[in-house]
Amino acid sequence: MKIKGRYLVSAERDQVWIALNDEAVLSRCIPGVKTLEKISNTEFAATVTAKVGPVKAIFSGEVTLSDLDPPNGYRISGEGQGGVAGFAKGTCLVSLAEAQAQTELTYEAEAQVGGKLAQIGSRMVVGVAKKTADQFFEAFKAEVEGQTFQKGSEGSNEDKVNKVLEGGIGSSRRALSPGIWIGGVIVIAVLTWWLSS
Amino acid sequence: MYDFNYHRATSLESAAEIYSQSEDPVYLAGGMTLIPTLKQRLARPTDVIDLGGVDGLSDVEQSAETLSIGSMTTHAAVAANSAVSSVIPALSALAGGIGDPHVRNKGTLGGSVANNDPAADYPAALVGLDATVVTTQREIPAEEFFVGMFETSLVEGELISHVRFSIPDRAAYMKFANPASRYAIVGVMVAKFPGQIRVAVTGAGPAVFRSGEMEQALASEFSPGAIDGVTVAPDELNSDIHAGQEYRANLVRVMAARAVEICG
Repeated sequence: MKIKGRYLVSAERDQVWIALNDEAVLSRCIPGVKTLEKISNTEFAATVTAKVGPVKAIFSGEVTLSDLDPPNGYRISGEGQGGVAGFAKGTCLVSLAEAQAQTELTYEAEAQVGGKLAQIGSRMVVGVAKKTADQFFEAFKAEVEGQTFQKGSEGSNEDKVNKVLEGGIGSSRRALSPGIWIGGVIVIAVLTWWLSS
Repeated sequence: MYDFNYHRATSLESAAEIYSQSEDPVYLAGGMTLIPTLKQRLARPTDVIDLGGVDGLSDVEQSAETLSIGSMTTHAAVAANSAVSSVIPALSALAGGIGDPHVRNKGTLGGSVANNDPAADYPAALVGLDATVVTTQREIPAEEFFVGMFETSLVEGELISHVRFSIPDRAAYMKFANPASRYAIVGVMVAKFPGQIRVAVTGAGPAVFRSGEMEQALASEFSPGAIDGVTVAPDELNSDIHAGQEYRANLVRVMAARAVEICG
């Protein structure tokens, strides 16, 4: 299962790259994130509340950054432990390219489910994973553009970022991180399929 | 199943009151999705608020142009209702084709709609029949109600009291069902109103959607052949082991053509 997406971010590529590596930014953009701890420069531990339809569960996951090629992109690998249901893991390749004054962000993600989940199937795995990915990247785009907009203007940075976020994703829930959503959300998605079919 | 507090509400107001006072509450309608979820420990609400004891939510009322159905009306009751089958037989047939007898006798219109499963049948009926969702707080046109996969425009605590369907001149629903679950791999509701054709598709995408191209083609000529030339873009459609995007895209056209044929 592969999902892809493309975003144009109104910010310089270096800024986007910095934001992609900033756990504070990531934690604000990951839908349903409860905690995101930096273990090292390339490792994070996260817990995420994921809700899809009737299913609501807390996932613990580990996120690793690899193939770092600043400022062109990196690979995020994530694994989410879904408790009774099993686990899911996935990787996401994020690429940044300069596009005139903007930055083009593309991602290509792949996910696998294991254990009990693998027996369950995947009526809507792709849909949920795609939606969650888009939720994250839309929030991320709004966050980065909010910070850019900030420059040279007065007022609280946080306020503006929040405003942009609210306007940008149109939801009170914040988005899962690339690694985590891929793991966690797919777990949830499969579960949802399973019990509703 | 994890422990939770069980409440049996006697009115929509008391249900909303309990909801607002609970830490992590959930409403229970027919429970055809929620109960399996709880049994599998995939959700852990603190409070379950059963709406089964609320009176007046399973009436069917007919007016000149609309048919209003209470949110707690079961699929079997909709299928068996004589007013529904005489005024909108397509809706009657749709309800009679949901899931299996157990699901039809427990599952409810409001529960299905609020859950907004991407493969549920009712969303196609609501959007195709230009319905209005009436809640405890407002009235929501069906097209604004269904936001995305498992997402609706309902806010926290808001409850559906009934759904008001517009009565079409003619309508038909055709679905290509998953043989095990009877969920719609693709389901299409075609409805002909004075001056308007509506084509609503469920199962194919993340949520129900209208096919504007098919509606235009059918407006100029209402025949199955009219949509032969319409191509459905597969890019945004669902894909799983049962049907890929291209196959679903083709099914949309085939199911629509069959529905048009039944409409006559």
